[in-house]
Amino acid sequence: MPQLNCIDPHEQVIKVKFDPGETILQATYRAGVVGILAECGGGCSCATCHVILDHTWDGTLVGPSTQEADMLSFAVDPTPHSRLACQVELSDKHDGLSLTVAKRQY
Amino acid sequence: MRLGIIGAGQSSCTLIAELVRGQFEGEILVFNGELNRPYQRPPLSKSWLKATADANTLSLLPEPIENHGSIQWVKEWVTSIHPDNGELRTEKASYQVDHIVLATGTRAKQLTIEGLPIEIEHVVRTLDDAERLKKHIDHAENVTIIGGSFLAFELAASLDHPDRSIRIVARGNRFLPQVSVKTADRLLGSTTASTQVDVQIDSYDAKSKSLTTNHGPVPADLVIIAAGAVPNTEIAMRCGLGTEDGIATDLFMQTPHPKVSAIGEVSLHHQPHLGRSERVESISEANDSATTCAKRLLGRPEPFGAIPWFWSDQGQLKLQIAGLCARSDDETCLISNDFDCVVIRHCGDRVTAVEAINGAREFMAARRLFENGAISLSALVEAGSVFDLLQSSRS
Repeated sequence: MPQLNCIDPHEQVIKVKFDPGETILQATYRAGVVGILAECGGGCSCATCHVILDHTWDGTLVGPSTQEADMLSFAVDPTPHSRLACQVELSDKHDGLSLTVAKRQY
Repeated sequence: MRLGIIGAGQSSCTLIAELVRGQFEGEILVFNGELNRPYQRPPLSKSWLKATADANTLSLLPEPIENHGSIQWVKEWVTSIHPDNGELRTEKASYQVDHIVLATGTRAKQLTIEGLPIEIEHVVRTLDDAERLKKHIDHAENVTIIGGSFLAFELAASLDHPDRSIRIVARGNRFLPQVSVKTADRLLGSTTASTQVDVQIDSYDAKSKSLTTNHGPVPADLVIIAAGAVPNTEIAMRCGLGTEDGIATDLFMQTPHPKVSAIGEVSLHHQPHLGRSERVESISEANDSATTCAKRLLGRPEPFGAIPWFWSDQGQLKLQIAGLCARSDDETCLISNDFDCVVIRHCGDRVTAVEAINGAREFMAARRLFENGAISLSALVEAGSVFDLLQSSRS
């Protein structure tokens, strides 16, 4: 099973297994990665599942939609590699992708 | 402390997660008569209904929390509570607890339609309901949805298919009365379903497979009742707490009985943003009331002060609402073009809610402005957009 390398707000590195087709949110939430609140449950409506992806994986990802980009602009300290975990769908090619959970979601 | 939580929906699960993360010292008994593990409800009428994904994708609690040692899942319906003795009864047993949290939520309002066969009648409230609908929908050519709510329109969008006619009929004189006329018109304009208001349904005619109404026969080989929700307050009412309208609590989610709290869609408490008591059916209410209750149970009480918010997916349109308004509040359209639409709800100059269609920045800016204090309509109109007002208030 492919996996993600997640760094949580306490700097703990957690390996998270995922099924291709699910989102970063579904995989990390199930695993109980702390710091991802996802108040709206993955509806791109609250910007509390902010993660920062390792930029070397940029080429493998579809960029954010306008809705996601607008929501992200209200996250705490967004970066050019910030994403909402609920909007990034994973496939086999993302095995090993590294991400950091935002320090704060508010 | 031994805590008994009744219900396993959004508010219950947020409370559980907050208590586990807050290192609650004690045992938590969660009573849930549904066979399914705790699941998210919003996707049931939206993405999940269309997708082939299974129930696991709806999981509401992270595994480490669901399986935490302090939690005991009791797969039984609670039949009565006896707070004076700290007792909870199910059909099978009696349980002793120190405190009871009612997170019983709401259920779909039922309508009695003479002659309507039970096998074609549906509601969408629980996972079982949605799975049953998924199973039957493929054979349906004429779907009639009864109700004028967001749920009715979400279902119409999710069930849209070239081989299927979808009709939405409502008893009231307008659709989506909880939002402005302008916002409702935009949402109505995007639906492919045919719609009719002021509909009185007399009966169902099995021969012609149609509903007999004051607007003539409405073809229906599958009927979905989406006519609103009723709070599950019976258990509380039997011990003198709450009414059919909800279970009254203070701003700490405490009922008048010291051993009972109520959270989520059943709790009826003062909404500081609105300036009066109201029972609110939304994810933000479930989360915020649960978080408030958790803080009190963890010995760090803070009164409920959250700004309500809401969202709904209607096909390609995303509606987001910041704040909470009375249905009678005025409406002023701030932005309206082919793609997005922002309507301000207000009481005189005081803004109570911001309704944004495809306007995520406006919605988020409104939440920030509400958190920082009141917004006036005149300031908003002068700034031209909620986002610009936020920017200028920051500089």
